[in-house]
Amino acid sequence: MRVDPFYVTNLVGSLDQAQLNAQQLTAELSSGVSINSLSQNPVGAGENVQLLSQIQQDDSFTQSSSLVTGQLQVADSALSSVVTELNTAISLATSANNGTMNGSNVRSVGSQISGILDEVTSLANTSYQGQYIFGGGQTLTSPFNTSTATTPAVTSYTGDQGVNYLESPSGQKIQLNVPGSQIFLGSGSNSVFGALNNLIADYSSGTVNTAQATSDTAALNSALNWVSQQRVTIDNSMTQLSAASGAVTNVKLQLTTAQTDLMQADIPTVSTQLSLAETQQTALEDVIAQLNSTSNTLFSKLPG
Amino acid sequence: MGTISSAFGIMSQALDADQQALNVVANNVANANTPGYTEEKPNWQENSPLEIGSLQVGQGVTETGTTSVRDRVLESRLDQQQQMAASSGSRLTSLDTLQALFTPDSGSSSSQAGDIGGDITSFFDSFSSLEANPTNNALRQNVLSTAGTLSSDVSSAAASLDSQRLALNQEASGVTSQVNALTGAIAQLNQQIQSISPNADAGILEDNRQQDLSQLSQLIGINQITTENNGLAITTTSGALLVSGSSSYQMTTGTVNGVTDFFVGTTDITKSLATGGGSLGGYLTARDTDIPTVLAALDQLAYNISTTVNTQNDAGMNLDGVTGTALAPLYIFNQPSAVEGSAANMSVTMTDPNQIAAAGAANGTGDNSNAVALANLAGQTIVSGQTPTDYYSNFVTTLGATVSSVQTENKAQAASVTQLQTQNNSLSGVNLNDEASSMTTFERSYQAASQVFAMLNTIMGSALNLGEQTTVT
Repeated sequence: MRVDPFYVTNLVGSLDQAQLNAQQLTAELSSGVSINSLSQNPVGAGENVQLLSQIQQDDSFTQSSSLVTGQLQVADSALSSVVTELNTAISLATSANNGTMNGSNVRSVGSQISGILDEVTSLANTSYQGQYIFGGGQTLTSPFNTSTATTPAVTSYTGDQGVNYLESPSGQKIQLNVPGSQIFLGSGSNSVFGALNNLIADYSSGTVNTAQATSDTAALNSALNWVSQQRVTIDNSMTQLSAASGAVTNVKLQLTTAQTDLMQADIPTVSTQLSLAETQQTALEDVIAQLNSTSNTLFSKLPG
Repeated sequence: MGTISSAFGIMSQALDADQQALNVVANNVANANTPGYTEEKPNWQENSPLEIGSLQVGQGVTETGTTSVRDRVLESRLDQQQQMAASSGSRLTSLDTLQALFTPDSGSSSSQAGDIGGDITSFFDSFSSLEANPTNNALRQNVLSTAGTLSSDVSSAAASLDSQRLALNQEASGVTSQVNALTGAIAQLNQQIQSISPNADAGILEDNRQQDLSQLSQLIGINQITTENNGLAITTTSGALLVSGSSSYQMTTGTVNGVTDFFVGTTDITKSLATGGGSLGGYLTARDTDIPTVLAALDQLAYNISTTVNTQNDAGMNLDGVTGTALAPLYIFNQPSAVEGSAANMSVTMTDPNQIAAAGAANGTGDNSNAVALANLAGQTIVSGQTPTDYYSNFVTTLGATVSSVQTENKAQAASVTQLQTQNNSLSGVNLNDEASSMTTFERSYQAASQVFAMLNTIMGSALNLGEQTTVT
């Protein structure tokens, strides 16, 4: 039987392969990444794109939700101050309506309520990061202005009925604002500004028309309840947001684990493989060195 | 009846023959490492016997030349396999460069640059962030900057693909002159072989021709047809004649649609060369199939993202309360007119972040309904019936699978080449152990012949002296 006299060349080919193998394993070890090119694991590479995209989306939602949580908190605390102010106004009005005050005291109640109107107007014009949060879709101009041209004065709304929503990665829509007109200019006896302006007019002369003033005070009371009801919407949004953001954080944690499992090199396995590849390489080198030595042909045995 | 002097004649011929055989061994050993050299064996021929009456008397041996130990079928199978391995090898090299443009993102923060998948998500996420505060300048600026990253990564990938295609085009054109040189040499060798050795193996000339064929097989796919008088005709795998007897036909190149096409005579053989084999086949497959496929996928992605985002932005209202018009549409990206070229031309044309239409057309400027709609495009099937991320993910998987399958193919073909090479080497290669043993045999036979010669001399001396031992020695 004849043999390939150039078998050492084939061994060198094997040595090249062993070296390449060791090189790839070293690259995996040094980068810590198991998929260094698409062809190494095409399906894994595709899956990686999906996982990273979802992780990125979750990250982005978490950031957005902390941004809007700030806005909702500001809205909530503004409404809470409004409620306090309105309670003060109601107790002032009640004391003015019981008929025991003299004219100057009544006028003083009127001007205190006027101060409260200013306070509530400024709360209704609260802005957060440059956005007027009670202006509906018109967030760049302050939505409430009071005109004193008539008696009672009229507070008008320049915003609109726009409502913004934030969508979570799962598609849940979370309401971000309640239009100011819906909170402060409710219909009928639910208008905060209407009731306040009427009361100011009631007390401006110093003489109280008790029937009118009592009815206006009752309207303010009902407007206060209305504001509290609107505040529930904001509070609900905050609850939804915190639940959604918690859920997203959990999902992200799972996705990150999956992505890490997919892409991270298995260090013990790779190290073992590298050590095997090195052993193989050394062995091949030894074999080649042995075979290449001149004492390996019959010629070396010939006399002379 | 044989005489002593005829025995002298037989022995001197034997010495000549042994010497010639030793020459053959020396030549084999000298060429042991010469590429393409085929081991030669000395031919021995018994001389015709002398018939004297009813007696036949042997007349010794003559060395009548050499035979190269060759298996033409094996050699041509090796050539064929080399054509396939060279083709998948050069295609694989191109694909390796190609896939390096889309290296998987490990997910660590430092690895995201240049990753189109990450760019797509960042871009649509920038609209989700804008939902939180649609009038915020920083968030609007972020939309433009992520759009810029996406479009520059897509367009630079397209530009790299284009330059790889040009490089392949040049490599492919360079093959032509090598092919022509080889076919010319083969035609010349054909002529020499036909005139010197029309009926038998032509030894060294045949080695040279085989070596040229083997080199040609690395370059292009060929068919070999043996013709009369030991000639060889060579055609491409599709049948275009390259060598016939002592004539060779030049392969020429010409530019067709911006790339180099290959001709024999006036026939364009580019397509058949691509599937034929050899490194040229691999280059052409990469140039005309692989790169265009990847580029078309990127074009589709760029086209659909650009047009859908532009349309959606145009449907909304910008921060100045203005909606898009036919004359002044609110476009973020350069609006592509056709799918082809969309990736290379993808860019952000919007410079003022206030032009981003976060608000619905009939709403206030603080409205975010259009930003929600823009962000939702990420989850809609806007690219060939898939979401942008799904499309990119599939694209990556398809490309990876293609490279992986060519890798496997190349590995198998290389193994098969090695196997055939081993078979061919074990048949035709110079085995030094064999040569050592042949040399010893011929040396011994030379020694024996000299010894017989010396003995005959003694016998002849005895005959001349007729018993007087001292006169002639």
